[in-house]
Amino acid sequence: MKTPGLRYFGAALVVLLGIWLGFKFHAAHSVQEVGVAVPAGIAGPPDSNDPAQLETAPPQVAIPERLPQFSLKDLTGKQTPVSSWSGKSLMINFWATWCAPCRREIPLLKTLAADWAGRDLTIVGIAVDYPDKVRAFAGEFKIDYPLLVGEQDAMDVAARFGMTSPGFPFTVFTDNRGEVVALFLGELHRPQAELILSEVRSLNEDRTQLAQARQAIAEGLERIAAKHSG
Amino acid sequence: MQRTQITKSVFVLLAALACLPGLVHAKPWWMRGIDAKETDYLPPDVAFRVAARVEGNTIKVRWVIADGYYLYRQKMEVRAESPDLVVAPAQLPDGVMKTDPYLGTSQVYFQQVEAIVPYSRIDAGAHPLQIKVTYQGCTEGLCYPPMSKVVFPVTGSSAAPNNMPPYPWERIAILGGAFAFLLAGLILRKGRKLDVPA
Repeated sequence: MKTPGLRYFGAALVVLLGIWLGFKFHAAHSVQEVGVAVPAGIAGPPDSNDPAQLETAPPQVAIPERLPQFSLKDLTGKQTPVSSWSGKSLMINFWATWCAPCRREIPLLKTLAADWAGRDLTIVGIAVDYPDKVRAFAGEFKIDYPLLVGEQDAMDVAARFGMTSPGFPFTVFTDNRGEVVALFLGELHRPQAELILSEVRSLNEDRTQLAQARQAIAEGLERIAAKHSG
Repeated sequence: MQRTQITKSVFVLLAALACLPGLVHAKPWWMRGIDAKETDYLPPDVAFRVAARVEGNTIKVRWVIADGYYLYRQKMEVRAESPDLVVAPAQLPDGVMKTDPYLGTSQVYFQQVEAIVPYSRIDAGAHPLQIKVTYQGCTEGLCYPPMSKVVFPVTGSSAAPNNMPPYPWERIAILGGAFAFLLAGLILRKGRKLDVPA
């Protein structure tokens, strides 16, 4: 320890060692304290009692560039592939009856379904829920756009959109070529929906490119956010 | 001159390393909500943290809830996971009444909540103590599906004085850090005579 540089280095080493030891103690003891050792993942719908439904979260996947092919049951129990709407722009809304923001979105989705009916847009609701609950809710709220329903199978579809540990609602927008234009996480409000849909329409009419449309959506959402918070 | 350049390079490298986790976890731009505070929704395990400890004949399950997030009282459940464990229904304090025009009125918890779960064991010691907790919560504009977790309650020492901090590792980490700084100081002073009173 003749040179001062070496002394400083030694001092720094000791401090780092201390910090490392602190972290090590923290980690070792906090695991014991918190006691959450076995991840059980995400359960099914709220009153699910079936432990078989509890699975570890699948690995993270990216949001796909194109609409993945999948099929789920409709409210009559008929298996319906998403390709039933091929050639149309889709607004796929993932929701559940137990989710307050999802329920709040339903009137907006009904209005949009009516407003955009003649413009090759189909709204498809995917309820991650029990079919009987969804049937009752759809009747009460008079939902007139197509609904698909599933439990773990609907969660698997959500995962194919990159939402392996999803929050609800979330909405996927595709153009009529099946390209995923946007995925909006959280409760959708009219300004955002109209912004994204107008870009989808521009894509369908070849007035813009996918990258440009996404850029316009990003900027538009920023503007709406700024207006909302300011 | 060369030394300054090396120092600079080290700083650039450190800065780049510091940015790396942010880049890896960066959200795609299209995952955005209506305003800035909604754009960074927390992962469910971060929004709602759960831990349990044993106190006498009860298991105390504690949820720590992130700011702006809440848990529904009626969706909280604690069940036995060990085969020899019998638990009574969880006793939960009254929550805050939350009214939503589309969901009705529910009791919710903000910040934190503790459930008291009386328990008994038929064959104590043969199996590790495990419980399964289920809970469901939301924040403004987003809800998480019900989550279930297997938790190993920590056995607290009844002899521990009441003024002990709840997490002893905090004290260990603080003392360890202080000791490391003391040691570093001693190394820097090496060669000089320490002025220690007799």
